[in-house]
Amino acid sequence: MYWEREFETLERNKLRSLQLERLKRTVKQAIQSPFYKELYQRKGISADRLRHVEAIRELPFTTKQDLREHFPYGFLSLPKRDIIRLHSSSGTTGNPTVIFHNRHDISSWANLMARSLYCAGVRDTDVFQNICGYGLFTGGLGFQYGIERLGCLSIPAGAGNSLRQIKLMQDYGTTAIHAIPSYLGRLYEVFQAEGLDPRKDTDLRLFVIGAEPHTEEQRQRIEDMFGVKAYNSFGLSEMNGPGVAFECTEQAGLHIWEDAFLIEIIDPETLEPVPDGEFGELVMTTLDREAMPLIRYRTRDITRIIPGVCACGRTHARLDRITGRSDDMFIVKGCNVFPMQIEGVLLKVPEVGSDYLITLERINGVDEMIVEVEVKKDWFNGDIARLDRLSKFITHQIRDEVLTKPIVRLVEPGSIPKSAGKAVRVLDKRVFDSVKL
Amino acid sequence: MAYQVSIFLENKTGHFERVTRVLKDNGINIRSMTLTHTVSGWGILNLLVDQPEKANQALQESGLSSALRRILAFGMEDHPGGLDDILLQLAQAGVNFLNAYGRVLENGKQALLIVDVDDYDLALEQVSKIDLYPLNDEMVYGN
Repeated sequence: MYWEREFETLERNKLRSLQLERLKRTVKQAIQSPFYKELYQRKGISADRLRHVEAIRELPFTTKQDLREHFPYGFLSLPKRDIIRLHSSSGTTGNPTVIFHNRHDISSWANLMARSLYCAGVRDTDVFQNICGYGLFTGGLGFQYGIERLGCLSIPAGAGNSLRQIKLMQDYGTTAIHAIPSYLGRLYEVFQAEGLDPRKDTDLRLFVIGAEPHTEEQRQRIEDMFGVKAYNSFGLSEMNGPGVAFECTEQAGLHIWEDAFLIEIIDPETLEPVPDGEFGELVMTTLDREAMPLIRYRTRDITRIIPGVCACGRTHARLDRITGRSDDMFIVKGCNVFPMQIEGVLLKVPEVGSDYLITLERINGVDEMIVEVEVKKDWFNGDIARLDRLSKFITHQIRDEVLTKPIVRLVEPGSIPKSAGKAVRVLDKRVFDSVKL
Repeated sequence: MAYQVSIFLENKTGHFERVTRVLKDNGINIRSMTLTHTVSGWGILNLLVDQPEKANQALQESGLSSALRRILAFGMEDHPGGLDDILLQLAQAGVNFLNAYGRVLENGKQALLIVDVDDYDLALEQVSKIDLYPLNDEMVYGN
């Protein structure tokens, strides 16, 4: 039932005490980093002043901008010789967001990941295929370490190549899968094209889906297509990656591991806490990270804490689905994209204008990012091959920047609204909902 | 040296008509045309008209991406096999096309083959070697 009963079912008041103890430790550890040392000295902040968890509200927020400005080592709280791994965001415009881990951090993350998977019903008897990019992206190694910690037979399949994925499932009798929801629709089509029915021709029983916003309907469709149970997961690279919050078998919200993360929900305008159960921006503090603690990190994700207790017996709060962002970032096919990145690419292409429109649309069950750009009038010479080359060039440039392939549409000049003031640059036509209880 | 007018068009309802309306308003007569569509949602409209410069200018002023593009035009006989005769010569000369279309000049007697090539100067050199010469502009644009 539980991976770590003592932590997962800890009474709320004891959980609170544990959080306070770990928060103090975290602040002490954070002060070892150049960034927090300077900030906290300037503001006269010390760990001793924290008498209760709520006192965290007196500490300043940390933002993605801070991480970028103090790239690469400004947040490091340990000597570099103690660090054993880094994970980093994609992108070539500006500094990436990089997170460092020591041996303890990697082990703690693996444990949270194993706890998360166990909570969704994964057991050591499962054959777990991780259909996810390995490398700097946290979804690959993050899941890998958790699957191994739990004791499953792991198949580090990586992303893409659906035919090979299906062959792996059949050869080794895969029972559990982690993938982004939009990929699973595509995978099902390949099953059909091969004349296979995943319900009959595989041993699949459980999916973990996440890293991309999706609806309850999408989840149900995936469950029906494959004849499995699908569980939602949540994570962000700044908080290790996957393993931050996970659905249990009740499928009634995502348990966020409060012994490892202190959470607040704030109003992104006033920066004050919102009333219990209301939607706001998720702010997180690491409670068990040594190499790079982050305090009051603004995730920009909009969600809420689901009121009440869960039937599973876990005492850790449940997050609702992420319903939006308090900045302009969006997620498509598991990749975080800022419109500024697209703009940066287009500015380097003299053949097109600087105006653009990004449309996010679900086409045949797969989320697509459509980027419309105007071809400059004086560059056009009637050569169709030249336009085609341009379109392909922009597609590759954007793919290199954001790690997901866009659909680039060249459009007539003047057809995109000019960027005067707050022009709409992103049109999200996908539908998302929150948990219904 | 003859020109066609090439226009960048999105594949959307009414966009083709936007072009023909400009031509109508400016008294321009179309002799022949091709419309190419790509899977990416856009295409190119190639027009052979009686007054290419005027047409190009009017289309640009109306906000469209339009360009004059050099073409080669060859005469051929308007009877079965007429196109094959000229294509055989062009193949022997080594000319490769990006696009081609035609028009009848005089029913049963004379027709016109219009060819869009990647390298205009090279193509001209290739055809001159086999004593084949493009038609003059009046023939191409005229009645």
